[in-house]
Amino acid sequence: MVEFRLPKNSTVGKGRIFTAAPGATNVKNFRIYRWSPDDDKNPVVDTYEIDLDKIGPMVLDALIHIKNDVDSTLTFRRSCREGICGSCAMNIAGENTLACLKPIRDIEGDIAIYPLPHMPVIKDLVPDLDGAYAQLRSIDPWLKSDTLPPPDSERRQSIEERAELDGMWECILCFCCSTSCPSYWWNGDRYLGPATLLAAYRWIADSRDEHAGDRLDALEDPLKLYACRTIMNCTQTCPKGLNPAKAIGRIKELQLERKA
Amino acid sequence: MSNPKKPHITVMRSQLSRARGLGSGQAGVGHWWAERASAVALVPLSGWFVIQVFRLAGASQPEVAKWGARPLNTTMMLSLVILTFYHTQLGLQVIIDDYVHGKAHLPAGLLMKGIVFLLGLFGTVSVLKLALAGSSRGKIAAG
Repeated sequence: MVEFRLPKNSTVGKGRIFTAAPGATNVKNFRIYRWSPDDDKNPVVDTYEIDLDKIGPMVLDALIHIKNDVDSTLTFRRSCREGICGSCAMNIAGENTLACLKPIRDIEGDIAIYPLPHMPVIKDLVPDLDGAYAQLRSIDPWLKSDTLPPPDSERRQSIEERAELDGMWECILCFCCSTSCPSYWWNGDRYLGPATLLAAYRWIADSRDEHAGDRLDALEDPLKLYACRTIMNCTQTCPKGLNPAKAIGRIKELQLERKA
Repeated sequence: MSNPKKPHITVMRSQLSRARGLGSGQAGVGHWWAERASAVALVPLSGWFVIQVFRLAGASQPEVAKWGARPLNTTMMLSLVILTFYHTQLGLQVIIDDYVHGKAHLPAGLLMKGIVFLLGLFGTVSVLKLALAGSSRGKIAAG
């Protein structure tokens, strides 16, 4: 059966409190999930009182400030700090999003920060995404064409054909959507998840690709594709404003279309 | 690494092998479509049934039996009962797929389908009894 409660070694305890410097006026509490593989301790939530006057506007600014100036043991991924690399995906105030795109002022009260839900944790805010990456690899996310390209030019697409890919090529593979999906939580070993299915449809819809049928064959599975129950968390949470649920709906339409 | 206890690793299969798993089951379209088609069909059938129940409110037993013996009503009632329980097992199967994993999955599905089948059959027999009993009573009364 599905586990609805956390295993004993995952129940979260109270952690330390890092108080703000005396004289700080614009203080906000960041409550951050901490877990380390190096000891046998359960995860805890540490509280950091941060003076917002000293840092930039985004949640990532606060995390970088904590790591640089308060507690260098805090571990998280980040790179581009402008919403294009997907590294700083985490659960902020109950919503999966990118720390670099989430303004602190949009969140009332304390800010709770956890790793992406229901993934193995490597340390603190760093989830293990190996399984999700392997699922992406399993749908062959690259152009497959048997027709050779023209020797003197690229493969061409009409403006209309290219427009089909809008709303899909923008995906940065942060996996906010997949890790927000209950179907992915319960059946993540077999359900491919919205991020991977969006990537799959991106190639099915590409006019230059010649293997749509093979791709649909590979997806026609009660769990790989049809474990999607149209919950729509994926679309609601996407920090890039994309609509993976629509792409999954299109795949289901095509599966039906080729049967009749 | 200060952890002296080395965990015993039982799965060394690659992530890609796990992601590909046993491949595609080549199924799911039929179930998905049947779920939606039966749901759409149940909208007018359920509406018709609600209207009939209101119309029969306060009716006597012979009046209801007479209603149930009409071929049109029998057809509509049988459609409603059969489709309702067909749709029920499709929906419950989805819940079992979501929440029951491993060895319990197959028996849970069989048990559910058996129960829903019997309930549906009971409803079907009840409708038929109403339809046929009404006509035989009519004959006796006439004879």
